Amino acid sequence: MIPDPTAFRQAAHEALDDPRLKVALGRLKTHFVQKRADAFERYGDFAALRDAGATIRDCALSNLDTLLEKFERNVTARGGHVHWARDAGEARQIVLDILRSADAKTVTKGKSMVTEEIGLNGFLEKNGIRPVETDLGEYIIQLRHEPPSHIIAPAFHLNKEDVAQTFRSAHTELPPERALDERSALVAEARVMLRRQFEAADAGITGANFLAAAEGAAVIVTNEGNGDLTRLLPRTHIVVTGLEKIVADMDDVSVLLRLLTRSATGQDITSYVSVVSGPGDAQDGPKNFHVVLLDNGRTALLGGETGEVLRCIRCAACLNHCPIYNSIGGHAYGATYPGPIGAALNPGLLGLAQAHHHPNASTFCGRCAEVCPVKIPLPSIMRYWREKEFEAHMAPKAMVFGLSLWAFAARHPALYRLGARVLARVLRVIGGRKRAIHSLPVLRGWFVARDFPAPQGKTFQEMWRAR
Amino acid sequence: MSARDDILRTIRARKAPALPRPARYRRVLDDDLAERFATRARAADATVEVLESMADVSGAVAGLLRARNMAACIHLPPGSAVAGLDWGQVRVLQTPPGPEDVAVALAPLGIGETGTLVFPAGEAAPASWHFRPGFEIAVLRVSDIVPDLETALSSLRMQWPHTINLVTGPSRTADIEQTLELGAHGPKALAVLLVRV
Repeated sequence: MIPDPTAFRQAAHEALDDPRLKVALGRLKTHFVQKRADAFERYGDFAALRDAGATIRDCALSNLDTLLEKFERNVTARGGHVHWARDAGEARQIVLDILRSADAKTVTKGKSMVTEEIGLNGFLEKNGIRPVETDLGEYIIQLRHEPPSHIIAPAFHLNKEDVAQTFRSAHTELPPERALDERSALVAEARVMLRRQFEAADAGITGANFLAAAEGAAVIVTNEGNGDLTRLLPRTHIVVTGLEKIVADMDDVSVLLRLLTRSATGQDITSYVSVVSGPGDAQDGPKNFHVVLLDNGRTALLGGETGEVLRCIRCAACLNHCPIYNSIGGHAYGATYPGPIGAALNPGLLGLAQAHHHPNASTFCGRCAEVCPVKIPLPSIMRYWREKEFEAHMAPKAMVFGLSLWAFAARHPALYRLGARVLARVLRVIGGRKRAIHSLPVLRGWFVARDFPAPQGKTFQEMWRAR
Repeated sequence: MSARDDILRTIRARKAPALPRPARYRRVLDDDLAERFATRARAADATVEVLESMADVSGAVAGLLRARNMAACIHLPPGSAVAGLDWGQVRVLQTPPGPEDVAVALAPLGIGETGTLVFPAGEAAPASWHFRPGFEIAVLRVSDIVPDLETALSSLRMQWPHTINLVTGPSRTADIEQTLELGAHGPKALAVLLVRV
């Protein structure tokens, strides 16, 4: 499967017809939505915490240049190296150069959406370096050659039988008759197989959930401990992250962390949070420490109409609460970031020509904005992109035609009144005794799963005049 | 122009005027810190046992191992803060623990808000030892429990380590069918020995 955001409409239709995906999507509500609600209920102070989080992010973005320079100074002072990448290609080349100078053949990887964004794995493979994903979900989809379908639960679309089959075809050195019926057996097998990779790896690559400028620290949040084994066992640790992840200091990180883990998995805190600030010591940890700061279109959004997307801390709460994402999952988007955050971010990062479908994948119900821990006005940003799409003549022709027809009528009140009256009468006749319309020669897609109630009585304008 | 200068130039041209640092968010927890620590750690699938003094640690460790049918053998890094205890019948190895082994570590700080152990890395406290073993046993003095992460980090500021590991419960994953399984890559179990004095 080659991800292609321009094929969104077709891919969404196919996803809707996938009964296995429907089962997996059904788990979002109980496993993410409910747990998040419970966690903030327990905390009891969501509104104030969220205000603080949004303010911290805005303040950081308004000081982005000085914070990044401070971060660079502090990392360098502790013996680490900071690299700047304007785009995906520069970032990939920086990572490759570091790995080549470390003579690395195998690299373990912690979960990182930014390395998905820059297509790092394929690039490393082409250059003779073997990347091994170590987050269980990422490992599974790497073996299956699939992209992640969710920001924090990359393999949620699969069931345990899929995973068992994947492990059987990948781990051919293990006895074929072994039992893999239980989830615990699958986890245990991954533990054994990946521990060998951690021990053998020449370098480890992780993302960062936050960067703290004052401490020169990258903060890595995991539940499995794979990010830490990725950092600590090989000789070289490379952090690849978006430059907008920076905040002033660890106090700010502490506030955002409370929001992140509760919003993401409903945990007060994840099993592991690691604050890493340079190479290790003589006994333990990496000898070399690098941070690659990726721009890739982010700074171009600063100060613009969609600049608030840069507050995002990638918790995925907007995905879990979105009726569209809950119907089609993540693969249909054909982009690294699916769901409402993708719909708000992708046109900015990928360009409108690539991602103009995504902002239309919303009912504007507003749940994404309600749950966003840093108060990103996601529907307003999607509306902005829809306007840009219309201006750029990218909107579907039928929609433009329909809208211009309506606009013409709306500017001619007599015509509008007449049209509404005729249309209401015609629809009533079509509706017949059941007072429901099953299909029309136009808007066929609308009738696939539902009927349209036939209008009854007079039009609103007629009733208004009669009062 | 270098990528660095180019990026910084774009930021300066586009960003909003610098906002002043916001007032610090702080929520005061007035309940019993040790009680709260134990409740939150247990909620994160750790076991918590309260001991009267450090002299009780080796007996408690031996008891934990017996209860799990494990050999009376632990791994302690050279120079460990608990190396000086009388380990009695418990065999002590100084090699890095494997994925089925047991490691014991002193946590110099605990966080009451979340039941979190704070492990600053050092030569006698290797960071990787919190992830290598199958079972980690952490020793924490009640007097070292602080209210929140901010307080814990501020006490490390004078000697900031290369790695600070915050550990709350054992390793876990829900990547298969969104269902929780313990023991993904790090320890399958975590026991906290809370020492009163």
